[in-house]
Amino acid sequence: MTTQAIGTSRGGIDAGIAVRAYLAVTGIVLLLMMLFGFTMRLAQAQWINIEPNTFYMILTMHGSGMVGITGLSGAAVMWYFVRRHVPVSTGVFVANLVFFLVGALLILGSGFIGGFAGAWTFLYPLPEHSGGLWSANAAAFYMLGLLVIGVGFLLLHLDVLRGIISVYGGLGAGLGAKQAFGLAPEKDGPPPAVAAATMASISNIVGIVIGAVVLVLMLVTLYVPSFTFNTLLAKNLIYYFGHTFINVTIYMAVIAVYEILPMHTHRAWKTNRAFYLAWVLSTLMVLTVYPHHLLMDFAMPTWMLIAGQIISWVSGLPVLLVTAFGALTNVYRSGIKWSVAAGLVFIGVAGWAIGVIPAIADGTVIVNSVMHNTQWVPGHFHTYLLLGMVAMMLGFMAYIGGGRAPSRLGPAGLWTFLIGGAIFVLAFLAGGAASVPRRYAVHLPGWLPYDRVGVIGAGLVVIGTSLLVTRFFLALRSPMSGDGIR
Amino acid sequence: MRRIARYKLLLAACVAWACLWLPPLRSMLESDMTLHMTVQLPLLTAIGVMLAMVLRPHEPCWFADADWLGIPGVLLAIFTTSLWMLPRMLDLALGNVSIDLLKFASLPLLAGLPLGLSWPRVPALGRAFLWANLISMLATMGGLYLGAPQRLCAYYRLDQQSAAGTALVAIAIVLGLAWFIVLFIGAPSPAKPRSADKSRINERFGWGASHTFPRS
Ligand code: HEM
Ligand SMILES: [Cu+2]
Repeated sequence: MTTQAIGTSRGGIDAGIAVRAYLAVTGIVLLLMMLFGFTMRLAQAQWINIEPNTFYMILTMHGSGMVGITGLSGAAVMWYFVRRHVPVSTGVFVANLVFFLVGALLILGSGFIGGFAGAWTFLYPLPEHSGGLWSANAAAFYMLGLLVIGVGFLLLHLDVLRGIISVYGGLGAGLGAKQAFGLAPEKDGPPPAVAAATMASISNIVGIVIGAVVLVLMLVTLYVPSFTFNTLLAKNLIYYFGHTFINVTIYMAVIAVYEILPMHTHRAWKTNRAFYLAWVLSTLMVLTVYPHHLLMDFAMPTWMLIAGQIISWVSGLPVLLVTAFGALTNVYRSGIKWSVAAGLVFIGVAGWAIGVIPAIADGTVIVNSVMHNTQWVPGHFHTYLLLGMVAMMLGFMAYIGGGRAPSRLGPAGLWTFLIGGAIFVLAFLAGGAASVPRRYAVHLPGWLPYDRVGVIGAGLVVIGTSLLVTRFFLALRSPMSGDGIR
Repeated sequence: MRRIARYKLLLAACVAWACLWLPPLRSMLESDMTLHMTVQLPLLTAIGVMLAMVLRPHEPCWFADADWLGIPGVLLAIFTTSLWMLPRMLDLALGNVSIDLLKFASLPLLAGLPLGLSWPRVPALGRAFLWANLISMLATMGGLYLGAPQRLCAYYRLDQQSAAGTALVAIAIVLGLAWFIVLFIGAPSPAKPRSADKSRINERFGWGASHTFPRS
């Protein structure tokens, strides 16, 4: 079932070039956003001095830029592997990149020209009440940028599902729902890439449709402030979209683990009943878990918060467990020959698994009431995003652009990234445990030690990532082949 | 479709049109904003879709070719329906005979008819995109009616207005769920994907297939 579905699409855009274009954009934007993060850490450590307004603008750009670029690169991983099994359109894939670039320009403009600093979560009614810091137009550019990016992703995910339906008949079959409930033999189930892509696409489509509603409504309120909405409802809708979108980046990147590790161990990834059940369950849960962002909103119906808390404990777990377990059994005694790509995706699984632990702690009401809005939160999400999702994605990048690149660059980049990343997230977590608040431009003297350790970790991450991205760009110069993409 | 069946359909469309125009049904549907927006307007559009089914076999070739991928027709339908989503237009239709006539003529002829003719020509991805947009636009319109600071229609009360808003949001949710369930279940046993056969998939799902709909 793993035949290359279609070579080049209509219009003759080359799929290999398209994937490389995605990764090239990813490399540049990722490094830029990391530099923004590094700047914030430097400012909190009081080693440089920037205006609080600028800090919050950079925070907004870093948050939305990182969420966007992990979404984009996750989509590249998903698309690259899913097209081995189902027909997808390269034109739509490229269109998504174009939409993304246009949207990213609008967002960068809203921040660096318009001064928009309402955070990537753009919580209503903050964009409308800037206290004179930014104009309605700046906020509108930000939201339009998100809408444009959303259109691209909507098209891409719809096209992936169309491809999956054309081969498997329905989304249930794409997920392996029958296999999950023991109604069909495991061996007839879809390959892991297809199950993951089905889950990711369903979730993101729901999230984007809901996000579009709240974005358009808020755009109206920017210009017609007499329109008012229930702020709590708006927050629900925003987190529905935001939580889903950022979560799905991991579920797309994890496909790289399913595909890259087996190539190194020469063992197929086991897709058993538990595997399919995990993906079915996480499809349901990723769409119902977002209330953990509202645990401090006392006006929320209690049952929603309780449900949100319980689902938070279990939502990430099924896929995480089958993936971590699958990765270990795939590697164990396989005589694997490690490469940079395999090492990075393996780190990605570990980073994801470790990062989920403090996240689950924070998804608990009594813990949340203490840890909410401390640096514990960036601590846990940077763990599974940076050391989890980004590590898997960098593994994919190394796999696509590996081969003939100078051999030292890869291992050096990998270790610097790993060590720096560990220091960086531990500094956040330690700060959070000491009640350092998140999203503060100016820190008290007692908090500075955490910040300064964080700077060192962040610096190492930037260096390590630069090495890995450089390795990718160097490999672009040599003729493409070897990874089976045409 | 057989000829007789087509005549029956035409007849049904005309009868429905007349029923919607005549007082008992009409005054009932127009007395309430929710019924006006979510029952009368969609039914008028549906009449146009029925007409499209009657007319499709007589559609000239050049017309089908000009309606590239169904884009012009769908755009026309979108413009027409968006116009009648405006509270001001609803109001005018109640108070002004010529606007009322316009409503009864434009929704079937400029929304339903082009939609019915063009829809089969729209590629699968385009249809899915339109569905997704319809769902989010309905919810957005509903949200706007709910969030509006004052009455938007002279003929309808504020409570009717928010009832209409709630109804639109509810319809969006139901449509979304229904769409999901249909796609989730899908076709019972698809062509097994031994090797993804490009031409067969294109044929079934309209990618790259010729954009003229095969005549029935
Ligand atoms: C070198 C790597 C990185 C550095 C130095 C960095 C630094 C930072 C800093 C200093 C903050 C603000 C913390 C605070 O609230 O006090 C932050 C927030 C954030 N970062 Fe990163 N980050 C990095 C990588 C990433 C990655 C890979 C992602 C992936 C998605 C990411 C997503 C976010 C998000 C979503 C926020 C929250 C923004 C907000 O509070 O509105 N970061 N980061
Ligand atoms: Cu969440």
